Amino acid sequence: MEVIINKKGQETVVGLVGRLDTPASIEIAPQIEDLKEATSGTVILDCKDLEYISSSGLRLFLGLRKAAAEKGGKIVVSNISPEIRSVFMMTGFLNLFEIR
Amino acid sequence: MSTLGDKLKRVSGGLMIVFAAALALEATNVVQYLYSQKVLREEAKKRAETQLETNRIRIMGVVDQAEAAVRNSVWIARWCLEVPDSLHVVARRIVEDNPVVVGSTVALVPGYKGRGPFSPYAFRDGDKISFASLATEEYNYPSHEWFTKPIELGAGYWSEPYFDEGGGNILMTTYSLPITDASGTVAAVVTADISLEWLTEMITDAQVYPHSYGIVLSRAGQVMVSPIETLSMRVSINDFADKAEDKDSFDSLSRSMLSGRSGNIPIKAGGKVSQVFFAPVARTGWSMSIVIPDEEIYRNLKRMGLMVSLLTILGLLLLLFILRAVAEKEKSYRELNEKKGMMEHELMIGRNIQQSMIPHIFPPFPERTDLDMSACLVPAKEVGGDLFDFYIRDEKLFFCIGDVSGKGVPASLVMAVTRSMFRTVSGHENNAAKIVRSINDSMSDMNDSNMFVTFFVGILDLKTGHLCYCNAGHNPPLILTDSIRQLDVMPNVALGIIPGMEFVEQETDLLYDDALFLYTDGLNEAENAAHEQFGMKRMYEVLHTRRGAQAHLDAVVSAVKSFVGDAPQSDDLTMLFIHFLGGANGHILHLNNAISEISRLEGFMVHVASETGIDPGTASAINLALEEAVANVIDYAYPEGVEGPVELEFKNTPRRLTFILTDEGKEFDPTAAPEVDINADVEHRRIGGLGIHLVRSIMDSVSYLRKDGKNILTMIKNI
Repeated sequence: MEVIINKKGQETVVGLVGRLDTPASIEIAPQIEDLKEATSGTVILDCKDLEYISSSGLRLFLGLRKAAAEKGGKIVVSNISPEIRSVFMMTGFLNLFEIR
Repeated sequence: MSTLGDKLKRVSGGLMIVFAAALALEATNVVQYLYSQKVLREEAKKRAETQLETNRIRIMGVVDQAEAAVRNSVWIARWCLEVPDSLHVVARRIVEDNPVVVGSTVALVPGYKGRGPFSPYAFRDGDKISFASLATEEYNYPSHEWFTKPIELGAGYWSEPYFDEGGGNILMTTYSLPITDASGTVAAVVTADISLEWLTEMITDAQVYPHSYGIVLSRAGQVMVSPIETLSMRVSINDFADKAEDKDSFDSLSRSMLSGRSGNIPIKAGGKVSQVFFAPVARTGWSMSIVIPDEEIYRNLKRMGLMVSLLTILGLLLLLFILRAVAEKEKSYRELNEKKGMMEHELMIGRNIQQSMIPHIFPPFPERTDLDMSACLVPAKEVGGDLFDFYIRDEKLFFCIGDVSGKGVPASLVMAVTRSMFRTVSGHENNAAKIVRSINDSMSDMNDSNMFVTFFVGILDLKTGHLCYCNAGHNPPLILTDSIRQLDVMPNVALGIIPGMEFVEQETDLLYDDALFLYTDGLNEAENAAHEQFGMKRMYEVLHTRRGAQAHLDAVVSAVKSFVGDAPQSDDLTMLFIHFLGGANGHILHLNNAISEISRLEGFMVHVASETGIDPGTASAINLALEEAVANVIDYAYPEGVEGPVELEFKNTPRRLTFILTDEGKEFDPTAAPEVDINADVEHRRIGGLGIHLVRSIMDSVSYLRKDGKNILTMIKNI
């Protein structure tokens, strides 16, 4: 699992590459924790290369969303695949994030 | 080893050949000899006849002179008859005018015209001519043959040769001719004596062969000329006849010669055969002969025969020498062959030992219904460096395949060592990587010959199909499901290269009816005469058809054989086919309660998807549900630091997929957890509870059961 972070002023683009299963979530948790500082601005989670996500991954997304809510920022989820979109739907996450 | 008997056989074999060659050569020699003999005989005949003719002409020359001298004097002698004293002059003239004549007389017939005997004789006496009277009482010429015979015959007559008693003891002969007077009465005889010394010289000098000789016989058979001078005129041919060993031939010769014939008669004398060629001398009644000993005629033949024999013997000796050299060569060749045969025999024993080291009874586990497997090893040389092994311990199939660098005896030794180590180490070790590591360390330590082994170890749980494996530089095995793919292996490094090398164990799960095909590069790199390789494509084509394990190997071997054709096998060919038939119609994935184990679900789902044909989206969703369920077990069933099994069983039934998750942890019912509110806003969203919600959302049925100290969660997905 790979996390590629690009900061452009108030906007931070986070590229997620690979399978975000439970072990991968534990692996990238520190990087996601660091991202919370950027949630005062806009954080775009680019899911173009995200193959899979489990609940532990969703929890990382939710953590960021809560931080953004506190800091007045915004979390955007972009380029999600139909599979991941259905997971978002099942969990009500479509309502929590701005989906692009 | 060559025994004395062999040696004798070989030598006598050589002698037989030499003997046969000798016979053939001898036959040729005999034919040649006979032909040469004939030629030489004819040559002798020709030379003898030519010489006889020459002699005859020369003799006739003298004879003619003498006869002419007498004849030419007849008219004057007749004229002088009236004056007998003048007959001196006639005789003198005959001697004077004819060098060949040594003496001459005109002898009156006693009583002719009333006269008494009268015969004045003129003869050469040194340079002058002297006279003597033959009308002495002592000589009494009318009694002599030279006088009587011509009168009797009424014609010229050559007397028997005789020795001149008066002068010089020389051989003489006389030609005498009767003279008639006008009335026709015989009045006198005119003679001319000729010396036959020239005849002896001529005959002696004119020889056709160094040791041939001439003999001249008189009309009466007296020997006039012969190589033994003392014989001349003292013996008759008949005296020889008495001594002759072959009287018939001699008689025939004597008769022929005395009757004035010419010809050739062989005569045996003194143990030797001689050819006698003879011819008459006209008018004189003589018979000339040339006697040539056969050994003289065939002297060259003898010499030639000797040369040929010598050459033949030399040739035969050379032949014998060559044969012996060939026999020696053949012997050393045979010994080499024997040695080679011995080495081949030993290699054959080595091969048998090697083959007996590896499993060689197929099918190996006829009693098992959960496993159909077979293996084969076809060495390129008598002994090979490939190896495989397998056995079952604790319901687990331990197997390995390997390829030692190089071929032949050295490789086979390394192969034997590797296989022994595999047995030893795997006897008490269930971790494929640890087995490989242990063998690698042992081999690296003692690897002075710098040989290495590519190796693959697998441990297949026959209950569950769970496969642990570790690769050491070997080519990846194939997994045969509905399709064929390579097993995901890390290449690592071959055994015997890096001591202390850390090898990583990998794992996957085999489903019911999945098969594993292991091979060495002798298969895909098998070359035909055009140096094309068998290649993966052909391998896949053969393996694509579903067959029993043994049938698979047979099909591959025959495909390789027909591809390779007459080209020599370039490398050992080893294959292992493992057809898993366990967990009938189902599949169990064994996990430990570690978060990292969750990643194995992905591979598990690849099997499920390939077996059931569900779409990737559904497979991914099921994967998610299973992950959430397993994550719950890992998080809640076992206390921190406690290890325990987690078992996920899959059952493939028509239109529904059933997953049963079992653990032995503390009682935990995920279905009892409160429903998460998916419509809550961010502030009220709970971090937990999403997992079981996803399981419920994805699966069509989720039920929990606590039984025998186990948590059993059954999840069903309709398809």
